[in-house]
Amino acid sequence: MRRMLVPALARLGARRGRTLIAAAGVIAAGVMAGTAMTIAYGLATGFDRASEGADAPDLIASFSPEERTDIAQRIARLPNVESVSYRREVEDFSFFSNGESTGRTEVQIVGSGRRGYEIVDGEDVSGEAGEVVVEQGVATEWGLEVGDDFGIENIGRLRVVGISVSPDNVAFPLNSRARAYLSQRWVRPFEPNPTEVDSVLIWANDPSNLDELLVQARTVSFGLQNLRFSTREGVQALVDRAAGIVVALLIAFSIVAVGAAGVMLGATARADVQRRLQSIGVMRAVGVSRGAVVSRYAVDAALLAVPASVLGLAVGALVAAGPSASLLEILNEKPPGAALLGPLALALGLLVALVVAVTLWPAWGAAGRRPAEILRGVEVPGTVRKSKVSGGPFGLGLRLAAGRRARTITTAAVVGAATSVILLMLAMATFLEDLEKDPGVLGKSYELIAQAGPDDLSSVAALPGVEAAGVRYETEVTSPFSPGEPFEAVAFEGDHTRFEAPALAEGRRISGQGEAEVGAGLVDALGLELGSTLVMQVPSGGEARYEVVGIVRAISNEGRLAYVGEDRLIAADPEIDGDVAVDVAPDATTGDVAREIEGIGFDADGASGSAGTNDQAFLGVLAGVLRVVALVNVLICLYALVQALAVTAAERRPTIAVLRASGAGRGTITLVMLGAAAAVVALAAPAGVAIQRGVLGPIVADLAAGYATVPLGAGLGQILATFAALALIAASAASLAAKRAERDPIAVSLREEG
Amino acid sequence: MRMPLVRVRDVKKTFGSGRAARTVLDGAKIEIEAGEMVAILGRSGSGKSTLIHLIGGIDRPDSGSIEVAGLELSTLDERALTEFRRDRVGFIFQLFHLIPELTGVENVMLPARVAGASQGAPARGRELLDRLGLNGTADQLPHTLSGGEQQRIAIARALVNDATLILADEPSGSLDPVAGAQVLDILRSIAGGNRSVVLVTHDVEAAARADRVLELVDGRLRPR
Repeated sequence: MRRMLVPALARLGARRGRTLIAAAGVIAAGVMAGTAMTIAYGLATGFDRASEGADAPDLIASFSPEERTDIAQRIARLPNVESVSYRREVEDFSFFSNGESTGRTEVQIVGSGRRGYEIVDGEDVSGEAGEVVVEQGVATEWGLEVGDDFGIENIGRLRVVGISVSPDNVAFPLNSRARAYLSQRWVRPFEPNPTEVDSVLIWANDPSNLDELLVQARTVSFGLQNLRFSTREGVQALVDRAAGIVVALLIAFSIVAVGAAGVMLGATARADVQRRLQSIGVMRAVGVSRGAVVSRYAVDAALLAVPASVLGLAVGALVAAGPSASLLEILNEKPPGAALLGPLALALGLLVALVVAVTLWPAWGAAGRRPAEILRGVEVPGTVRKSKVSGGPFGLGLRLAAGRRARTITTAAVVGAATSVILLMLAMATFLEDLEKDPGVLGKSYELIAQAGPDDLSSVAALPGVEAAGVRYETEVTSPFSPGEPFEAVAFEGDHTRFEAPALAEGRRISGQGEAEVGAGLVDALGLELGSTLVMQVPSGGEARYEVVGIVRAISNEGRLAYVGEDRLIAADPEIDGDVAVDVAPDATTGDVAREIEGIGFDADGASGSAGTNDQAFLGVLAGVLRVVALVNVLICLYALVQALAVTAAERRPTIAVLRASGAGRGTITLVMLGAAAAVVALAAPAGVAIQRGVLGPIVADLAAGYATVPLGAGLGQILATFAALALIAASAASLAAKRAERDPIAVSLREEG
Repeated sequence: MRMPLVRVRDVKKTFGSGRAARTVLDGAKIEIEAGEMVAILGRSGSGKSTLIHLIGGIDRPDSGSIEVAGLELSTLDERALTEFRRDRVGFIFQLFHLIPELTGVENVMLPARVAGASQGAPARGRELLDRLGLNGTADQLPHTLSGGEQQRIAIARALVNDATLILADEPSGSLDPVAGAQVLDILRSIAGGNRSVVLVTHDVEAAARADRVLELVDGRLRPR
């Protein structure tokens, strides 16, 4: 082993510059792979870890407060129940601590039995007076620690005894309600109805048979108001769907990065083999086997790849660990810890294998030829053809690239793939921002929702700046056949398409009170089709039935919604409140109209996609992250071009030396390199646009929201900006390559065969 | 008194270091007048090529002084050396070093397209192609041309910027005797006026065409 390693180290040391560049490429690919692996693995497995840690229930049923004894009797009739815990939930008692406060809160009053949350710091409430457990999101956001004071309106000042994580919902502030847990034993005196509960946590004996339990639960729940079920699988499906997009993107992103490094290392190895063709030919001529010739390349490559990959993966994992943990914390999930080492080791193996393979391949090919043929083929330029391109320095660069067609195409493929990812990230960032600000993205043609009733429609419609106003009803409903799949029912007085008209995928718009247009997400969830009967149960327990006449591609609520005739909805739920949707006139501003609405005594909210400011902030952060990823891809393009030009410059040292001997300065050499880079960019730029618009955009749009039409095609401005960035990258890479080429002594370069 | 075009004084150049060090020039001296053709003879590895690399400003000596057309090369930075090569020097190499992707005429014109090249270079290039009998082959790629034709293109390339000093390194070394003789005749014909030619060769017959023949032995030049 030592006999192989010592000369290999000497060889790597002798060509230190090239070794460092190759190592930089492997490190960069390792950083990308490490980052992607850390975030993807964390997201893919975070829910399971959190559920296990929290001992999450298989089913949570929530309802309007009922006597615990009544609920217990109903539960006793259910099959497959292993254990049950009861809770009482109180909303909107203000929390205040550490100079922070919020009125949107949720106090969970827990009794005995299993909890369904994990204490990650401190301990659980014991029943002693003044104890409170706060969720991790609140603790992080407000900087709380165990032992701190924590105030709850109507209850008083308490002491934080523990910090909890529960994966049944995302964390505060992404979830706009802050959550805290109090012991039922202690809080009983404060409760007006201490024997009532409003949610039940159920653990099944056999979680795989949960459907049967759900159907039975629905049956025994008859008469309960505002009943809602959420299953552990349902929550996981929601989280996985969101995480799946991120995971898919990260994997695609790291494949591009590793591919870029692989192609560039392969090109470097090919140039290296070309330089050493003479010695390979001589070795083969004196009887050294093909395997023996190639083995030294394998040892060199492995010696370079192992430490560089370890370093890259470690840096990537460390860099991503913080943001990944924060992201998981926002989702109320847990980072993988040491479990990440397995996937990282796998990535290490794959990366090293890739580097060794792409390095070996040219040597294997060269050593396989007859020795005489190898010796004859020393330092041959690529394919040389007459060209109509100008014979000046820029044209020469173009011709150098054309002569190495395979390298130019593979580099263009890498730059094109990276370009398509850049465009995709920019398009996604723009889409997220539009989702944040532009109701039109959701198929809505109104900008404001006035918290006014149907009787106030005419006074809102008469306000200055209001183009049109309509009464809108919205309520969360369930199907009696799939109680774990809640969805939104939306109705307008009159034609809903005046205000909300997501693209119609199949069928037609509703024209009668007994008809429904359903979102594609709901079609998938409930197995609906045109002509099906949509049965929905409203929170008060009433039922309404509709015939499905149309399927729409709606983004809102992940396509789990139905536009229905308002009469039947109101008949099923007489308590339903209507709001007024307000379309702002083109010559008025949303802010002005909102002030007008407030002027007559009603609140006015934006009608954009995300409901609250917390969601908007989250979307803003996501858009920022996507733009950072785009920037990293710009660096990949730069790396690919720099490497390709470095290989060209190394391969054509005599040509560059002749130019320099003829009086060409750095400017002229830069022009030559710019020509070579331009050949790559000219192929890559349109290819990148085509890949983004034709392949990546549609795939990601489908992954992100198969139930809706998501516009993820890059816009003209984004395309032009990306092209400008590519031109700048090409100029930078050319300048860098020329600067490096200038360091080679002309006399030495001329001694190499031309 | 007329200044020599090239003045080399006490130039030393060593390659390698320690026990591997090899001194190829050890106090070399030479003066070359404008219009003169000088041949430098020597065995392989004697330092002939190194000497013309130093005179042409593509390498630097360890010590000593090299002055060309009144410019002391050791005082020039890289940018000034580049301009010096562009304006004053033309190189001709044994292996021609034509750029395979460019046609004959494009190879000839390439120095004329370098930033800062003289305005008259393109016209001069066309005239050179005519004068050297290359009009019929100028549009072909180098690999389709004979060795003699390639070397004539290289000569035209060396002259296109109206260099006053032509440095030819074994220009007939890769050619058959007839083509080699033609190339040497051309070199002889271009020397004169303000233009000097330094011919490096190991071929005594080739050297005989020069006005003056020097021999490089043990790192020093001596008349032959």
